Amino acid sequence: MEEVKIGVYVCHCGLNIAGTVDVEEVAKYAATLPSVVVSRDYRYMCSDPGQDLIKNDIKEYGLNRAVVASCSPRMHELTFRNACQEGGLNPYLYEHANIREHCSWVHDDKKINTEKAKDLVRAAVRRVYHHEPLEVKEAPVNPNVLVVGGGIAGIQAALDIANGEKRVYLVEREPSIGGHMIQLDRTFPTLDCSECILTPKMADVGHHPFIELLAYSEVEEVSGSIGQFKVKVRKKARHIDESKCVGCGICEEKCPWKVPSEFEMGLAMRKAIYIPFAQAIPNLVTVDPDLCVYIQSNGKKCGACIKFCEAKAITPETLLNQTDQIIELEVGSIIVATGYDQFDPSVIPQYGYGKYDNVLTGLQFERMTCAAGPTGGKVLLKDGREPESVTIIHCVGSRDQNYHEYCSRVCCMYGLKYAHLIKEFTKADVYEFYIDMRCFGEGYEEFYKRLSEEGVNFIRGKVAKVTDQAVTEEEKGRLIVVAEDTLLGRLIRVPADMVILCAALEARADADKVASLFTLNRRADGFFLERHVKLDPVATPTDGVFIAGCCEGPRDIPDTVAQAEATAAKALSLISKGKITLESAIANVDETRCLGCGRCEEICTFHAPKVISKNGVMVSEINETLCKGCGACAVVCPTGAMLIRHYKPEQILNQVAALTEVL
Amino acid sequence: MTVVLNEQDTKFKYDVAEEPGGENIKLCFACGLCTASCPVADIDPEYNPRKIIRMVLLGMRKEVLSSNLPWLCTQCYTCQAHCPQNVKFSDVMKALRSMAVREGYVHPSFVEQIKEIDSFSQKSRHQMVLSIVDKKAEELKIDPAKLAEEALEKEKAKV
Repeated sequence: MEEVKIGVYVCHCGLNIAGTVDVEEVAKYAATLPSVVVSRDYRYMCSDPGQDLIKNDIKEYGLNRAVVASCSPRMHELTFRNACQEGGLNPYLYEHANIREHCSWVHDDKKINTEKAKDLVRAAVRRVYHHEPLEVKEAPVNPNVLVVGGGIAGIQAALDIANGEKRVYLVEREPSIGGHMIQLDRTFPTLDCSECILTPKMADVGHHPFIELLAYSEVEEVSGSIGQFKVKVRKKARHIDESKCVGCGICEEKCPWKVPSEFEMGLAMRKAIYIPFAQAIPNLVTVDPDLCVYIQSNGKKCGACIKFCEAKAITPETLLNQTDQIIELEVGSIIVATGYDQFDPSVIPQYGYGKYDNVLTGLQFERMTCAAGPTGGKVLLKDGREPESVTIIHCVGSRDQNYHEYCSRVCCMYGLKYAHLIKEFTKADVYEFYIDMRCFGEGYEEFYKRLSEEGVNFIRGKVAKVTDQAVTEEEKGRLIVVAEDTLLGRLIRVPADMVILCAALEARADADKVASLFTLNRRADGFFLERHVKLDPVATPTDGVFIAGCCEGPRDIPDTVAQAEATAAKALSLISKGKITLESAIANVDETRCLGCGRCEEICTFHAPKVISKNGVMVSEINETLCKGCGACAVVCPTGAMLIRHYKPEQILNQVAALTEVL
Repeated sequence: MTVVLNEQDTKFKYDVAEEPGGENIKLCFACGLCTASCPVADIDPEYNPRKIIRMVLLGMRKEVLSSNLPWLCTQCYTCQAHCPQNVKFSDVMKALRSMAVREGYVHPSFVEQIKEIDSFSQKSRHQMVLSIVDKKAEELKIDPAKLAEEALEKEKAKV
């Protein structure tokens, strides 16, 4: 082995480190360590001149190892590995000592800090002595993309990628794409009709040559990793012949069986065979097998749809024998855009949702004002009258530690929009109860001003209860909303005919299942976690899996679209590069020690090790494109045959020994 | 009347937060739900939990502790159950009461009276328990005092 020559660089990080660590002393100390031929301190090692120090020293002193003592390796380990590579050194002949997060930021005493920094540097120097150069390998990227969720986020991402002429598989679990946005009537603050702006995009998805739409389907299984995911999708049986159905809807008309419509939020009924709404994409009917009497009676009763279908898309065969299909896909990246659930306000008994007929959620009111909705666009009470007084309650389930601590971000604005629509459609007085009015987006504050001019009564105070216990004649037969007007400092009772609850946006009920399917992390509030909240907002800790829209947290349509476009850019940039760099610090089998017991195979979540027969001997083999170098296999290996490159016993043990030495 | 903030006791909210039950006082965002759900505020417009919290946060120590406000709370816990910021107002009121007593804002005779009521109720409770025990002992034909002595002897023997 050639003589080891180590260079040590101690970073000031401005005053972040130098303020509480004597960096010069640390650098001087490092120079005394065995095999260290040069040791420097510098104000900002991550700057270009800082990196040049390393490159020049490699040339001048013939360095074959480098150590930088600076911030967290998460921040700049890659920076300095690259600097080493540019200087002609294998990037794995580098070691990073964290003297900021582990030292200057957590202790005050400069003397002790300096000692600790010396210890960390000594350990790093001892470790880097045992480093070995590792080969950096590449693998090709499959140019297909999977988009999960057909709401506005999924639609936008799919269109952006498909317009770049790359194949997209768009999976949606409902019979039609459109998501929550297609349920909305108008969109704030411009009051564009939601259908008018979304249906053209939906239609584009429907006939785009590069989009394969898998509606009424769910992802069952995901394996592989960035560049080469393998995905199994369950395409649920619609119990019709999809190639023949023209979506004429005659079957729906003739079908006698009804349940409350999910799309209309229970305000109207749908049939056992149905198209959820007029502009559905794909325009196909779906049979609800639990409700269909023909299916339930095994073909003995009903069958009206079979009789009336002119296209012969519905037959006894499709109704009784059609089963789910499993489709296998291969994709290079995945965009998860699974959206949100609306908070169920019936868990707040004092607001009377589910108890009083005219207490509605936001989405129910959206359906009511929609021209194609259950009331034909009229704001009506349950008994068919027009309301004379409507109350809108903000922050129902949001900004409330009993339910969700976060602000749902869109409720203030859609609450204002409802106030406007009520003013437009009825002569009713509108009372809007809020805690803080948050109108932060483009044109939002102006919209608030417009509503103030329209004469909406804004009351600053959280509603304590909605009750039917009248104390005056005027209150009789109405709902009474009780709150404190905190600006006046007095209790307020508002007799109202209709109460609209601005219910929170919450994580999907099955978010845990989706998270484990795609190896995502979740925040305490249940939404999916991005890789970095500011600087990497659509990537996730799993390479090649991106998130967009409300599955990451409550957001409005403009933000969702921007995020969806960001995920498309990420996916396209991956396809454009065409290859990925594989992790080099991965598992490696010492075949002379391996017994082929298969415990590594059992523990690995990435399916990287596989026991195979090699010259008649059973040994474990690592699939290098799947291995992440997590080390789980090395821990369970009973013989020590499984080693993780760059984390070999002599590297770790020498580092530990250097730390525990008493000088 | 103008409240001059730099004349107030800025330590007050921290002191309340140190008391058991007062931990979350600084989280209040003044939504007024406590006041709107309060049965006392419903009949007495002078009593406003939101305003009391505001006075604590602004450091109006003397005004809060010397007033009768902390003593009007019925401890029904409605505000505490519904508060979106988990301020625990009923417990805050208990904290304010003990601070008022400790810091001498309450007339000593009042404190004496509370002590007397307390000791009276303790005694009554003790006697009530005793009478129940005596009645039971009579039915079972045993002497409670003797039982206690025996138990004590056993413990002594162990030592």
